[in-house]
Amino acid sequence: MSNVNVLIQTGYGLNCDLETAHAFELAGASPTRIHINSLVDGSVRLESYQILVFGGGFSWGDDHGAGVIHAVRLGTHIGEQLLEFIDKGNLVIGICNGFQTLVNLGLLPGLDGDYRQRSVALTFNDCGNFRDQWVSLKAAPDSPCVFTKGMDGFELPVRHGEGKFHADPAIISRLEENHQIALRYCLPDGTEANGWFPHNPNGSVRDIAGICDPTGRIFGLMPHPEAYHHFTNHPDWTRIQETNRRNGVTAAPSVTPGIRILENAVNFIRSR
Amino acid sequence: MPHRLEITLKPGLFDAEGQGIRNKTLNYFGISLDAVRTIQVITIDAALTPDQLIKIQTGIFSNPVTQVSAFTPLALDFDWTIWVGFRPGVKDNAGSTAVEAVEDVLGIRLNPGEAIYTSKRYCIQARDLTDIQADTLAGELLANDIIQQWRIYSKSSWNPAVGIGMMIPKVQLNHSPAVAAIPVDSDRNLEAVSLSRNLALNPNDIPIIRQYFFNPSVRRDRAKWGLTDPTDIELEYLSQARSDHCNHNTFRGLFRYRNLDTGDSVTVNNLFKTCIEAPTLALKAQKPWVISVLWDNAGAARFDDDHYYVITGETHNSPSNMEAYGGAITGIVGVYRDPLGTGKGARLIMGSYGFCVGPRDYSGNLKPRLHPRRLLDGIIEGVRDGGNKSGIPTTFGQTLFHPGYMGKCLVFVTALGIMPAKIDGHPAEDKKTSAGDLVIMCGGRVGKDGIHGVTASSEVFSQHTPAGHVQIGDPYTQKKMHDFLLEARDSGLIQFITDNGGGGLSSSIGESALSSNGCAIQLEKVPLKYEGLDQWEIWISESQERMTLAIKPKHLDAFMSLSRKHAVESTVIGEYTDSGKLHITYEGTTCAWIDLDLLSSGFPQWEFDADWQSPETRGLFEPVLKAPGDYRRLLLDMLSRPNLCSKEWITRQYDHEVQGSSVVKPLVGKDRDVASDASVIRPVLASERGIVFTQALLPLYSQIDAHAMTTCTIDEAVRRLISVGADMDQIGGVDNFCWPSIQYHPVNNPDGRLKAAQLVRSCLALKEMCLAYGIPLLSGKDSMYVDGHLAGKYGETHKVSALETLQFSASSIISDITRCVTLDPKATGDRVYVLGLTRNELGGSEYYDHFGYVGLNVPQVFSNRFIPMYRALSKAIESRMVASCHGIYSGGLGIHLALVAMAGNLGMAIDLSHLPLEEPMRDDQALFSESAGRFIVTVSADNEQAFEAQMTGQSFACIGKTTDEAGDLEIRKGSGNPLLSVSITELKTAWKKPFGALI
Repeated sequence: MSNVNVLIQTGYGLNCDLETAHAFELAGASPTRIHINSLVDGSVRLESYQILVFGGGFSWGDDHGAGVIHAVRLGTHIGEQLLEFIDKGNLVIGICNGFQTLVNLGLLPGLDGDYRQRSVALTFNDCGNFRDQWVSLKAAPDSPCVFTKGMDGFELPVRHGEGKFHADPAIISRLEENHQIALRYCLPDGTEANGWFPHNPNGSVRDIAGICDPTGRIFGLMPHPEAYHHFTNHPDWTRIQETNRRNGVTAAPSVTPGIRILENAVNFIRSR
Repeated sequence: MPHRLEITLKPGLFDAEGQGIRNKTLNYFGISLDAVRTIQVITIDAALTPDQLIKIQTGIFSNPVTQVSAFTPLALDFDWTIWVGFRPGVKDNAGSTAVEAVEDVLGIRLNPGEAIYTSKRYCIQARDLTDIQADTLAGELLANDIIQQWRIYSKSSWNPAVGIGMMIPKVQLNHSPAVAAIPVDSDRNLEAVSLSRNLALNPNDIPIIRQYFFNPSVRRDRAKWGLTDPTDIELEYLSQARSDHCNHNTFRGLFRYRNLDTGDSVTVNNLFKTCIEAPTLALKAQKPWVISVLWDNAGAARFDDDHYYVITGETHNSPSNMEAYGGAITGIVGVYRDPLGTGKGARLIMGSYGFCVGPRDYSGNLKPRLHPRRLLDGIIEGVRDGGNKSGIPTTFGQTLFHPGYMGKCLVFVTALGIMPAKIDGHPAEDKKTSAGDLVIMCGGRVGKDGIHGVTASSEVFSQHTPAGHVQIGDPYTQKKMHDFLLEARDSGLIQFITDNGGGGLSSSIGESALSSNGCAIQLEKVPLKYEGLDQWEIWISESQERMTLAIKPKHLDAFMSLSRKHAVESTVIGEYTDSGKLHITYEGTTCAWIDLDLLSSGFPQWEFDADWQSPETRGLFEPVLKAPGDYRRLLLDMLSRPNLCSKEWITRQYDHEVQGSSVVKPLVGKDRDVASDASVIRPVLASERGIVFTQALLPLYSQIDAHAMTTCTIDEAVRRLISVGADMDQIGGVDNFCWPSIQYHPVNNPDGRLKAAQLVRSCLALKEMCLAYGIPLLSGKDSMYVDGHLAGKYGETHKVSALETLQFSASSIISDITRCVTLDPKATGDRVYVLGLTRNELGGSEYYDHFGYVGLNVPQVFSNRFIPMYRALSKAIESRMVASCHGIYSGGLGIHLALVAMAGNLGMAIDLSHLPLEEPMRDDQALFSESAGRFIVTVSADNEQAFEAQMTGQSFACIGKTTDEAGDLEIRKGSGNPLLSVSITELKTAWKKPFGALI
């Protein structure tokens, strides 16, 4: 089977690179951690990769808006290269801080194929603070999003202070028409959160947790798939394991939703 | 000419920061504001063209979707507007990143002296707000005068064209650096110098220092370098090296311990050697997993064959007490440099915190510099930003309230790292400097920050303590350095690495030069934040985010190009030698030339009188209580006590899952809101092995006896580890002592001898427990002088001393994380067991404190009886017989049954008549005694027999069953009416009452 090469950016305060690389390995890909400056100085180019990851963390300390300076630096130095990478039908995922960077670059939402326009934003949580919690999520079945294909309801952790999705109503309705709202916060039973804190942890309009571009190949989300790569990452795992034991369930835990998201990406590349 | 950009959220967008200020204003001062909008102010002190300004305005500083901005004052509505900015020289992290971004976007470099500054303007709508209230808001909520300045404008005094004007907090010293020779003709004169220069030299050291500089041969050699009397650099170096903070003079002191009751007396020579070093070395000999202890920045223990984990704990009390946010973030970011500077460098894998502060709702007459509520908010936020922005999970923490901490708060920060066992074939824990190695300073630049921080933390806090040592840590700069140094380590480029903390270069180079036995430093090469620092200031500055390294000259190019790739500044500032001398030059002129072995040459040992009187002799006694009637109300009120209630709002602010290693989280249970006994991480993601970590803190017991405080604290830490499944044979400890001043003074410290005796007893207890439980001390620190002088109602001042406090952190290994157990019962109908005997031990308990009593019967630890039971329980957990396990800690059985019930969201039917008691006692005693050595365990019916067989011979009993989901906690004594019956919902409401509304 051909290698799926994943480039995970590092440096300047990014910090989820190690577990993201591990998670992509579990998903069957070949990840490499590359410093932002190796892209900027051209010593590494995107050609030999099929998946580009903007990972979690605090690039430039989140000063002047989370993801803003990271976006400015890449846009200034390798903007064209990024657009070529996308034109070639490759995949881009932005997780948490990476999502913030994608919207500041304009790679999302990418309406009308315009990948430079900043038309949505991720701003300060309504609760006014950084927050670490697990959230219930609902994937949109009719979304073109490559990463959430075939997924429905699942849980992931969020860990951010600036995750409130904001855009003009006009933009929001266009995102909905295009089914670009791939992921929403919901109640544990799967029904709409309607902004109810803490199920919707940040006050995002329409409970938006993640969006994709119209092609579904660029995906940004606030929750952390890479942080649910092992069944013991889940907050209830000791409860689940004990219940299984009592019900005589001994089967090894199935692949986690976090890995499913990455597998979807890997399989898309393999099957194209 | 400078430019000022004001940025704010578009109208109609919710201003979360403004809302937070409204809430705090209401909570802190009872003042309600109609609205608060915040404006970010970017002041650009650089010659930029209009086009360039527009480019950075739209490209960087202003988000077209959410923000509006202008180079003229924004016209927002307000009754008052308050501008808050940094004082000159205070670290402006956002200002530095702004420069990075601007230079990148414009493809230019700012000229020397040009800079960008960030500040804020708050637009407050509140028609009736008085100017005095506005001033309170500015000084007691929005700004801290130690690091910030502010301006207050009323609607009428505001000029909409001028706005705040151009506020440029630029450091201008206009000072040409000079080295001064200090005459040391008499002890008195040197003492005077010490006082005037804030050297904090110990009077007993002064004759030794003078002796050295009067030694004819020394004077002859010094003459060759044009030196006569000691220079200011040399004295500062000695002052740093001899400070209690660096040299631990108190713990290495001589204690004359007398028991005034019996008349017996014993001399304890050097608490560190006898109570910490000796037992740890003895245990190291028995435990091959102990890799490196007692010398490096952190201790190292084996994680698996290919990895070692390292651990250390620090405190950052004095700075946090003055500037809570800055002090706390500097503390956590600082302790994270210790693992990075251990061996050839370890990657950070987790952190934890311990906060001890005054009552959050304090309303008495004492006036601490910061109200406990504001202080706590500040340290929470400081540790939050320091940990989160470093990408290190904060997986455990504790917060404790007591009025004694109003004199000085305690901020404990603990750090763990991991490193490969070998770095290109060589042991990773070894490091040494050799003659010819280059001395490299890496990371941040040097300014006047933190000068005399070390000596200041070795003094009692008062109005005269220099505030200059308060800094603001910069996790962003340090994270870049962390990533760079690990890559350098793995490329085999690092010979030696240590961090710059207390004492700055003076300590890091002074200590690292010992292994090569000498160094030659060219001080002018040290990169500065701004010109005009004296040589001694460069030498001892504690500017943060810096490491000192030794590398081979042949590695220099590779090292420097890696440094550039990571955008980290590294500079060669000298080389290590074998001259036996610390030799410092500045532009070719020698300004320090001193024998390194001077420090090990006969400085006098500190001496203390330690007089112990038993609690009885001191007049402590058991309160005369009769059994209460309303147990229901009592339990609910106990659950609402600040030290027992839910503190979820703190935990949730900390990223405890970054790095993807989370196994047992700080909050567990059905609703994920009950504090776990310990946390577990999986630092090597490909492995199923885990590190179990916990902390314990029981200072209230010190009111009776610090010996019991210490034994109980360590026993609690051990039980916390066992509860989640840790291996009892691989427990390592970290002791963090925080003690009030123990030097007797008839007027200033009349009870100094008792506090000294408490310290001796605590250290002896530490030794006993470590040997009994087999716990080598992987690391530890002491922070003395936890006292403060607070102004009272009439302007008089009161000395407030903290309780004698030991925070004990403990870590161990679990070989298979899937065997971890959490404290929440998992199913209805499970058996509820209590393991361990309950004794009449309520002395220093939360129950007695609830009524304002201290009592006498402080809990005792019987390790020889406890250990067999702990082992039996560990076996049961390992064999997967146990559904849930939780230790019984402060608050006693009643509180911890409630916590367990809440965690499982399951009712429980408990019959106290089965509870294993050592002696008959009242039900309130049984429910709230804090006897050590106890657990609550739930076991499924099908494991009942196996479990009981496993525990045969131990003191344990089944005292009830779990009942319905969301049911009642029902506690009875035999037949008849229950003592109490209360629903989980009611328990939770009471437990979350104090802080449940906070986020």
